[in-house]
This record gives sequence, structure tokens and C-alpha cells, in this order.
Amino acid sequence: MPEETIVGTESKGDCRIRLKPGSSGLEIKTSSKGLFEPGIRGVAKEVLSQLEPPQAGIVIEDYGALDYVIAGRLEGAIRSSFPDIPLIRPKVARDPSERDRLRRTRLYAPGNNPRVLVGIELHGADCVLLDLEDSVPPAEKGAARILVKHLLATIDFFEVWVRINPLDTYGKDDLAEVILGRPHGICLPKAESADDVRALAKELSRLESDLGWEEGTTLIMPIIETGRGVLHAEEIAAADERVAVIAFGAEDYTRDVGARRTQDALLYPRSQIVAAAAAASIQASDTVYADIDDEEGLIEETEHIRELGFAGKGVINPRQIGPIHSVFSPSEEEIEDARRIVAAAEEAERGGRGAIAIGGKMIDRPILERAKRTLRLAEKIEEEGR
Amino acid sequence: MKNALGREIPDRIGERAPRPFSGAFETVPTGRKAPRPQKTVKPGENKVLGSIEEAIEASGLRSGMTISFHHSFRNGDYLVNMVVDACARMGIGDLRLFPTALFPVHEPLIEHIKNGVVSRIEGSMNGPVGAFVSQGGKLKQPAVLRSHGGRWRAIEAGDVHIDVAFIAAPQADPYGNATGIKGKTPCGPITFCAVDAQHAEKTVVVTNDLQPYPVYPFEIQQGWTDYVVVVDEIGDPASIASGTLKITRSPTRLKIARLAAAAVKASGYFKDGFSFQGGAGGISLAATKFVGEEMEREGIVGSFAMGGGTKLLVDILHRGLVRAILDGQAFDTDAIASLREDKNHVLMDPGHYANYDSRGCATYMLDAAFLGATEVDLDFNVNVNTHSDGQLLHGIGGHQDVAAGAKLTLITVPTLRGRLPVIVDRVTTVTTPGEVIDAIVTERGIAVNPRREDLKERFVKAGLPVRELAEIKAEADRLTRPPGRPVFGDEVIAVIEWRDGTVIDTVRRVVGWK
Repeated sequence: MPEETIVGTESKGDCRIRLKPGSSGLEIKTSSKGLFEPGIRGVAKEVLSQLEPPQAGIVIEDYGALDYVIAGRLEGAIRSSFPDIPLIRPKVARDPSERDRLRRTRLYAPGNNPRVLVGIELHGADCVLLDLEDSVPPAEKGAARILVKHLLATIDFFEVWVRINPLDTYGKDDLAEVILGRPHGICLPKAESADDVRALAKELSRLESDLGWEEGTTLIMPIIETGRGVLHAEEIAAADERVAVIAFGAEDYTRDVGARRTQDALLYPRSQIVAAAAAASIQASDTVYADIDDEEGLIEETEHIRELGFAGKGVINPRQIGPIHSVFSPSEEEIEDARRIVAAAEEAERGGRGAIAIGGKMIDRPILERAKRTLRLAEKIEEEGR
Repeated sequence: MKNALGREIPDRIGERAPRPFSGAFETVPTGRKAPRPQKTVKPGENKVLGSIEEAIEASGLRSGMTISFHHSFRNGDYLVNMVVDACARMGIGDLRLFPTALFPVHEPLIEHIKNGVVSRIEGSMNGPVGAFVSQGGKLKQPAVLRSHGGRWRAIEAGDVHIDVAFIAAPQADPYGNATGIKGKTPCGPITFCAVDAQHAEKTVVVTNDLQPYPVYPFEIQQGWTDYVVVVDEIGDPASIASGTLKITRSPTRLKIARLAAAAVKASGYFKDGFSFQGGAGGISLAATKFVGEEMEREGIVGSFAMGGGTKLLVDILHRGLVRAILDGQAFDTDAIASLREDKNHVLMDPGHYANYDSRGCATYMLDAAFLGATEVDLDFNVNVNTHSDGQLLHGIGGHQDVAAGAKLTLITVPTLRGRLPVIVDRVTTVTTPGEVIDAIVTERGIAVNPRREDLKERFVKAGLPVRELAEIKAEADRLTRPPGRPVFGDEVIAVIEWRDGTVIDTVRRVVGWK
């Protein structure tokens, strides 16, 4: 007797599918049959017509799931019961992202939790990072990557990344699935060498060309979270054209090296990562701040990492976005100062003078560069920030 | 006939010849207030009776009459069930129930409806009684739903004549003065039924805490009270005053609240003397908190805040951000304590705050208010009474009164509840007309009523995400296939009155689905 497959949960915004091979029927349990059954049945029929599974009895228990959640759960259940069935390939129109996009915040969302995933695009993070790695237990990896694919295919993100598992565990399967949702980039956890990055880049090239996409358009964000990774930050950052950001993961790093999470303990890896990013002309993004109720601590840490040279920070709760964005946004005075410096430089250039001075004070090159960077950031926030 | 919103209103609804809604401020009242029989008591007369049964007997309550109640104990009220049970035991039936509101705790009424003890209900029905009545064929006359101000008006105007008003009083004296903010189980002010007490043929105060004369403040006065009854329990205060209401932690709801507060700030009304209605629902409570923080940051001192009183509003008062709180209800223990102790926390009845047929409403003095909705439509009409499946499940509360009065009425809603769209082409039931709604605040942006181009300009200038309501709707609709739609028959389950007594909509029996 074939086993019943159960995918999904009873939590709000989710649905649970019970699938029994050999049996038959499509039953829908929902809070209001009149309101919801027709829509849910419609989604289910569409999925069934795409997958054409062998006969099976299906029960959908609805807890307020959106269409893409139902589709993801149902595909998950069917493919878990019938592993040979080819996957659904949604049509996704998403333009590739740019390497130097504004990325003050990257908001993590657990890939198998509709309660958090629904509306994740609306919280104002500069980029959203759908996680298949640490937040997803091994038994749920398959369901999660299918759900994430359907989410990607439905939602119009400002910028969206997927954190896959390491390539030597579930990473390749993750990639083959979520690439169909055309994420802007892939986050590679526990990156320790240029080879790790190149292996991912190679896999991406293969998939992109299979799909008929322009090669190299999917970006890579290696996450450095081991001692070895920190030591190799330079080669990781420079490993491939696709690498647009390198991120720091402090929790795993401190565990790996046996440190406690203090500002002092993190100063070296952070500085190393910023330097590696600068050498490769890419962005460095800091680790998350775990205590979501401690806004003061978050602001303090964000100010610190901004001083170090980071371009952004990980976020585990939407509440953290506002404070981080304010720290990373130049103040009116900073923008005004930067404008004056750049104007003075332009005037000096027109006058053929080498030295720039404002009010008798000499302005050297690094200060000019910083002023230009401030203006670029302000402009980017104006254009891309929300 | 069709009313001004294009809603079909039958020429007769049961025994009533309805006046159709013609606009938020079109009705001009005529006539005089309804009278109450004159009566006098001599010094030394006793009003205290031994039991509810004795009071029923003394009051002359008979089958076919109307009895009224207040809802200040909300889901902790015992009195409605006690009185109706007693009537049933005494063989009194065919009663018209005229509560301010019913809650899930009143589910036993369903049996009384089935066996004819209760044959009519006029009042808010939150929960099972509403669901039961929605099935159709349960009541002799359709239910009537009125706003806080609308109910007050209906009694004063004589639309509803009360035979006996039963008033649950957390503290009373033997002479019939009563309050809800003192006693063993305070439930907050009991001003909602002050009008019942003044217009009923007989007024019965039921208390679990009889104290020597005089009890004060007296929301209910000796001059209105015929009888006083002492019982062991009148309600469970834990279900109304269960400590502090919690601010939502949902990121989506917090986002809506933040946007609403930002909208208030950008509205042009946000300056010294600013006044607002603080909400108690998830989103409006958070919005109230953010508005308070913004007032503090900008150094703005408001004139008043209006309750339902909450700890949050009390804090705003104590931080000196407003000069006063005007309260008709209290939603937690802190608000009740503050009403007792702080002279700037002022008791107010619905006649003072919301009555259309009056010479002034406190809501008309409001700058800003946050209100909720079960549905909103593209004409900005709001439904708070029915669910999209046509079930009658909620009362109007002060929704109409506040929306009609406040200069800036913001409806704060998520675009989706589960897989159910909140923004629809046409609301299932109109509670409050779009003409008194200024903007809809959602997690996908703010839609400003086209009547308020001025507001739209201010919001855009402040960098707020202003969008067309249809565009917000389309974005949410992309995420769910359209829900099924109930098909309504002819039978009218309930009449929704606008606050002036005209009929803004009817709720009909669901006969199928399409």
C-alpha cells in the first residue's frame, strides 16, 4: 500500500496537502466553501494538468493560502510521491539586476514558511533573500524549493536572491528548481574558496544557457562564515564576474573560530571582508543583528559597520529595516557638504588648479572620493530606495 | 426603490416603511423628542427589589414588549442571558431585544429565538447570534443595526420605544444612581444606556455592588431609575478589562499603521490643537501609538483624543500630548482607573459624541480617525457588518459617526485576509458611504478619495506611496483567484441604518453561490 504524502502546515497563510497514490478524488477543506473552494479547485486543476500525475486521492486543507502557496504545496506533494514527474516551468519575466544596486538591507525569509513569505516583498527592504539553507529542516528542503519557485514566479520583487544549500549537499537541486523563478542572484553559504564560487558560476552558466538566457546575468553573493572563508575573502570576492556582494555571517564564523560575538572579535573578519570587496570593486554586506527588540543595539552596530565600509546589513525582521536605512542614508548636511566639495573640485579643474580648497582648507583626494560616494548613494536612495 | 448609493431598498421592510439614505448630511429632522410617562416618588420610598423576577413583575413586562441592555461588559456580559432566561421561565415571550450589542457570550439566545421567547432583535450582533439570524426566517421582523449615535437618535426620536431598560451596573446605590467605573467588577462607563434609562417606561438597575447613597459619578441617575436589583454577578470583567491591549507584531499591519501615522502627519491637520480618535483594533492601536510618538517628536500638543479608552491613550494624556480624553467606553483596566482618577479623562455619552439629531457631536470636532473594515469598494464605501460570504457578524459601533465627523477618516486595512481580497468592486453591505471616507491605507499604498485632491497633493508632496485604489486592488487580486460570490434572495435579514435613521443598505438571506 503506497504511503500518504503530507506537505504543508496548518499555520496561517499555508495549506496542507494529503496525497494518497492509487486512491482518487480532489477534496477541498476550507473555512468557506462558497468563497474559496472554486478558486482553490481552479489552482489545483491547473497544477494537475501541468504535472499529469498518476491517479491519486488529494485533500487540500486550506488555512488562507494564496494561489502560489497552493500551487507550490501541491507540486511539492505530487513530486514527492512521484519523483520522476518533470517539474513545472513557470514563465517569469524578470529583468536581471545590476551589480552595484543599492543594498542597505537584505531581508531573510525562511523558504518554507508562507506565514512569513506572504507579503515579504512589501516591507521596503532593498533586497529580499529567500532562504533554503539554515531555516529549512532537511525533510522540508524539497517542498521549500518548490514553494520558493512559485513565489518567485508570482511576485514582482525589487531585488530577490535565493540562499541555496552548499552545492555538495542540496545546492544543485535547489538551483535547478529556483532558477526557473529567475531570481536576481544566488547566495552561496559557507563560501571558503574561489573554487566554491566558480563551481556555482559554472552551474549557473549551464542553466542559463539551457534556458536560453544571457549568460552571466544571475548574480552571486558568497557568504563568508568560517575562518577559512575569511582568510580567502580576497579570492572569493574576485572569483567571478557574477559576484556583486560578499556577505558576512557572524553566527557561524564565531562558532567556527571559537570566538564570542563581540565587536572586537568581529573586527578582523569584517575589515578583511570590506577590504576584499573594495579590491574587487564590489559591495560588502554585514551579518544580521539577532535581537530584534533591541533597536538601540541595532543602530549602534549599523553605525559601526557603516564606518568600517560596509554597504549594507542582513535583516531578520522587517522592523529592522527602517533603522538600518536611516543609518545608511546620508543626512541633509552630509549631502550639502559633499555637494560643496564636488563643486569646488569641478571649479578647480576648470581653472586648471591642482589643489582644491574650501574656505582656505585643503581638500585631498580621498575626501573628494568620499564626497562623490555620498552623492552617488543619495542619488541611488532617491532613485531606488523606498 | 434605490437609495443614493444605488442600493435597492424594498418599499416595505416588515412593518417598516423605510426612508432611503439620501446623503450623509441630507436629512433634516422634524418633530419633538419622544416622551416618557411622568412619575414621582415620595421621600423614603424603596426602589430595591429582591430579584430579577421581582423586577420583571414590578415593571409590568409582558409578551411582545421591548427590553434593552448595554454592552459595556462586551463578551463578559451575564445580564442579557439572565433576564431573557427569567422571562422564559415566567412565560414571557415574543420579546423585542434592543441591546447596544450582542457578543459570542450571548449564544444561548439562539435557543430563545427558536422557542419564541425572543422574536426580534435590534442591535449589533457580533458572532453566533448574527450567524444564526443570517440563515434567514429566524426573526419576526428583520434585525436593525444602528451606530452608537444612531441608536441614541432612534430612542430620542421615538423610532424605538423601550418598555423596560435593564442596566448592568458595577456599582449602584439603593436610590438608583449607578456607575461602571467603580465597584467589584468595573466594566467602564455605562453611558451608552443613559438614553434608555431616560426614555424607557421602566428602568431597572441591576448591580453586584450596592453601596450607600450617594454613588458617583452617576452615569445613570436616580431620577431615571424605577428599581434596583442586587445579584451576585453581572459580568466577567476579565473579558473586557484583561490588562493591556497588545500592539500588533505583524509586519504588514505595522506597516499599515506607520503609513497611517505618516498620512496624519502629512495631512495638514497635524499641528497644535490636533484631535484624533484612538483605536483599539490591531492596526489602529499601533497607528495611535505612532501618532503619539510623532506628536512627541514634533512637540505638538493636541486638544483631545477620543476613546474607547486604552492604556495607550492614557499614556498619551499623561505625557501631555493632549489636553483631554473624551471617552464613552473603556477597553482596559488602565483606562477605567484613569477615568476614576484623572479629571482630564472625561466621561461622555453617545448623545454627546455621535447623535445626528443634536446640536453638536464630539466627532465633528475630530481631525483624524483610524477605522477598520471587512471590505472596501472602489467607490470608497465601507462594510463593517457582513463578511464577503454575506454573514451578518459585526455591529457598526461608532464607525459611521466617527467617519462622518472627522476631517481625516483613514480606513486602515490589509489588502488580503488569507486568500480573501478586502478591496472589492462593490461591498457586500454598505455601512459607511464613500463620501465620508478620505483615504484607504493598505500595505500596498494609500488610495485617496477623489473628493480629496487637496489631501492627495499633500500626501504626494510628503513622499507617501499614493496610488489609485483600483491599482492596489489589481495587485492584490493577482495573488488569488476571485472568491465565489453569494447570491442573495429577497428576504431581508437586517436593515443597516445610517446614523440619521435612513436605510443605507439591507442584508439579505444568502440563497446560493455563483
